[in-house]
Amino acid sequence: MAGLLNNLKIRDYITILANRQKQFGLADDSAPAGTDASRALARALHPNRQYLKVAAVTERAEDVKSFTLVPDPERGTKELAYFGAGKYLTVFAEIDGQPVTRAYSISSSPKASLEGRYELTVKLVDGGLVSRYILDNWQEGTPVEVSAPEGNFEYQPLRDAKTVIGLAGGSGITPFLSMAQAIRDGDEDFELILLYGSRNKKSILFAKELAQLEKDCEKFKVIHVLSDSRAKASEGFEKGFITADLIKKYAPADKPYSVFLCGPQQMYAFADKELEKLGLERKYIRHEMFGEFHNPAAAPDYPAGVPETVKITVTQAGETRTVEGASNDSVLQILEKNGIAAPARCRSGECGWCRSLMVSGKVYIPPHLEYRRLADRQFGYIHPCCSFPLTDLVLDVPEAK
Amino acid sequence: MRNNYDVIVIGAGNGGLAAAATCAKAGLKTLLLEKHNLPGGSASSFVRGRFEFEPSLHELCGVGTPDNPGDIAKTFDELGAKVDWYSHDETYRLIVPAEEDDPEGFEGENGVRVKIDAAMPAGFEAFSRKLDSIVPGSYESSMKVFHLSTLMYEAFDDLNSGKINPVKFLTKYGDVFKMAGHTVRECLDELGMPKKAQNIFTAYWCYMGAPPMRFDFLYYMAMMHGYVERGASMPHLRSNEMSCAIDKVIREAGGEIRYNSEVTRVLMQNGKPCGVVVNGKTKLFAKQFICNVHPNFAMPDFFRPAQIPADARRKINGRSVAASLFTVYLGMNRTKEQLGIHNYSVFISTADDSDDQFRLVQGKMLGNYVIINCLNEVIPDCSPEGTSMLFLTGITYGDVMQGVRPEDYKKLKTKIADEMITQCEKALGIDIKPYIEEIEIALPPTFSRYLNTPNGSPYGYQLDLWDSMLSRTIQYNKDQPFDNFLFCGASQERGDGYGCAYYTGKKAAGLVIKKLKEGK
Ligand SMILES: Cc1cc2nc3c(=O)[nH]c(=O)nc-3n(C[C@H](O)[C@H](O)[C@H](O)COP(=O)(O)OP(=O)(O)OC[C@H]3O[C@@H](n4cnc5c(N)ncnc54)[C@H](O)[C@@H]3O)c2cc1C
Ligand code: FES
Repeated sequence: MAGLLNNLKIRDYITILANRQKQFGLADDSAPAGTDASRALARALHPNRQYLKVAAVTERAEDVKSFTLVPDPERGTKELAYFGAGKYLTVFAEIDGQPVTRAYSISSSPKASLEGRYELTVKLVDGGLVSRYILDNWQEGTPVEVSAPEGNFEYQPLRDAKTVIGLAGGSGITPFLSMAQAIRDGDEDFELILLYGSRNKKSILFAKELAQLEKDCEKFKVIHVLSDSRAKASEGFEKGFITADLIKKYAPADKPYSVFLCGPQQMYAFADKELEKLGLERKYIRHEMFGEFHNPAAAPDYPAGVPETVKITVTQAGETRTVEGASNDSVLQILEKNGIAAPARCRSGECGWCRSLMVSGKVYIPPHLEYRRLADRQFGYIHPCCSFPLTDLVLDVPEAK
Repeated sequence: MRNNYDVIVIGAGNGGLAAAATCAKAGLKTLLLEKHNLPGGSASSFVRGRFEFEPSLHELCGVGTPDNPGDIAKTFDELGAKVDWYSHDETYRLIVPAEEDDPEGFEGENGVRVKIDAAMPAGFEAFSRKLDSIVPGSYESSMKVFHLSTLMYEAFDDLNSGKINPVKFLTKYGDVFKMAGHTVRECLDELGMPKKAQNIFTAYWCYMGAPPMRFDFLYYMAMMHGYVERGASMPHLRSNEMSCAIDKVIREAGGEIRYNSEVTRVLMQNGKPCGVVVNGKTKLFAKQFICNVHPNFAMPDFFRPAQIPADARRKINGRSVAASLFTVYLGMNRTKEQLGIHNYSVFISTADDSDDQFRLVQGKMLGNYVIINCLNEVIPDCSPEGTSMLFLTGITYGDVMQGVRPEDYKKLKTKIADEMITQCEKALGIDIKPYIEEIEIALPPTFSRYLNTPNGSPYGYQLDLWDSMLSRTIQYNKDQPFDNFLFCGASQERGDGYGCAYYTGKKAAGLVIKKLKEGK
């Protein structure tokens, strides 16, 4: 049969193959570098762990302290990972044999991390395990272990409006403080109008720092919203709660604006209703994560007849154990209370770090925390930090890395 | 606790998944170790707000239809892994915008001035007719190409059946040999395809990252034939569905998978691998190893320099790393109809010649070339009602992140994404930016983090005439550093692509199974 490629010769494949080997023969046989700029950058931005120590403690208010953290080169951390304002660190600790993790937004500026400083600000939560432990135990010199900066609560110029109305409640001020400093330092470019809810003037966190930032940076403005009925409205102070009318009063009338929220769960519940009245497009509303969900039995869609205690059989790195826990605790909490370290970062259902296989059993997942991948749902993977056991479970949990 | 296995598979990318599933199904005591907390490597997904994004997959050419299944569909069927496939009968649209004063320019869709605007259908006949309507006189050469690629598949079948004798093979399939020894450019010239038609015909170069002037025609056509014959397919629930389906097969066959388990060292005995260290602490042993980690990092990370055979060191130093990608994932608060998008896959380039496209992106961080995909075109319900998802891809080569400091990185990401989006808006004559509800941007360091490959490249080593699929296949054994430590994945014979990675995993598994059955 006549071919189609008649003017091309069959190249001698033996020669082509020999050439390939020749080409390799000419190459250098020194030890391969094993790195490049992309790898170096990935490692600098996303270290698996950062080993730090407390360099200073600042009392901010009753039961609220800021901790300045610096690298601990002796344990292997020479530089801090740079971050975008709004990110959080997950703190790893062991309290009475219980491995625990908690997320705290970085309250210092991105620039400070280049100078070797992060600041976390911790507020006591009533009956809280880790916040109590940190406030009681962290002092100058305490070694601290944290994750890389994590999370998506950041300004993104291609997505967000040029003006952001920040709604902060209590310790939810922390990411905004970092954002305001980043704007001042020229690391972010947007206008931030912060409506900051506190009980009264005395309970405002970072009052001085915020006032100074306002002076130093014309793109930043703060309005304190005081809920105490005895508080008085004055320049820069409003009374009551963060309502739709209040947002309208400070938001630009003639151009789009984004609303960023960070605060306690009750604040989200209230503010979300107010935001509905403003009819903003969904893209202009962004929440920081909800934090741990507790007391699932109070949820309207929680099933009846769930046993009070359950057994969980866990396989982790080839070892299998069976433990017991309360069905009112998340699967992650039950594991931790039994001394099992499980992977976690946000503890709010969103980040997916805790992803584990549920081989058998049933769990309750609060619908607003359903952030699992679609195929994960189909193939039985759960996020233990926001899954509550309804029956005995059999799990395969990755190592806490 | 078990610490001894028949085979340890390092890395649960597509190659590692296929390897582990094949070994486990053959009854081997199999352990799959993965650094990340989920399977798939590139074949995964991530959630932002109300969107779940596909991180890597543009399209699969190896699925086909139930009556005419391709490689991937067959592999999944053999393994018993169930995936809900969605298919699509368009191949791609190529747009080359024209400068105002370009005499070749004409007014295309939405008033955009273009030099080329070619939306190509699937099917050999339909594709060739469409090509002819854009470049009159190209029908015949186009059909000849598909005739050759059909012949090529017959040759593969004959080779696999082992029934044909070499002399007969050479006379019957002389053209196939020529395809293997010549570039895409040489062969299309020889077939008399007009230059402009070649520009359209070679637009798929980006999926293998090798330009027509350096890529062998045989392998280019192996891919192109698949897309044009069968059209493209996607899994319903992003590629995480494919990875989860294989994960399930491995477990059901008695294999063990450990996530968050990074191999940090390979243990040696008598000059051969005998075990691995996981997360710097746990030692696990096996007779055989299949490694899905790119050799450029696996060898220096796992072995001391003196333990790496000189030949393996030369192979790392003597080859160049294939393409790296920039990707932008957009969750849009408008439907594709509202946005004015009606193609799944659009290639947009400032240069009309594919070789120039390749030259222009060398070592560059920005511009010239971008692909835009809209998944809703194939899977209408992939995002909530009233929304859609877009996926933009740019391509580059080399260690382009040199000199980028951590504090520059976020701004650089935004700048690159901005340019890529702007280029799409201009070429399509539509608005994208006002409707972005979610955005995620991945640059080579992002891929480096998730895939652990040099330059963050998902494509392995550069495919080239001197280092082609066929040469790599013939010299497979020579390319492995130890006889019980086989590589699989994009760094191997077939380069990048899901089907290619599954193939190399299955092949390595087949060799391991054979060796263990023979008691070696
Ligand atoms: C992204 C992010 C950023 C954050 N940034 C900051 C920050 O900058 N500063 C800051 O102070 N905090 C911040 N937080 C909150 C912080 O991570 C902790 O949630 C907080 O410190 C409380 O931890 P805890 O261990 O003290 O309380 P927990 O031990 O979590 O207990 C909280 C409360 O829940 C109750 N509880 C526990 N288990 C159950 C159960 N099963 N059923 C019912 N009730 C239960 C406890 O009794 C207690 O009242 C952030 C959280 C997130 C997600
Ligand atoms: S820790 Fe983030 S999803 Fe569970």
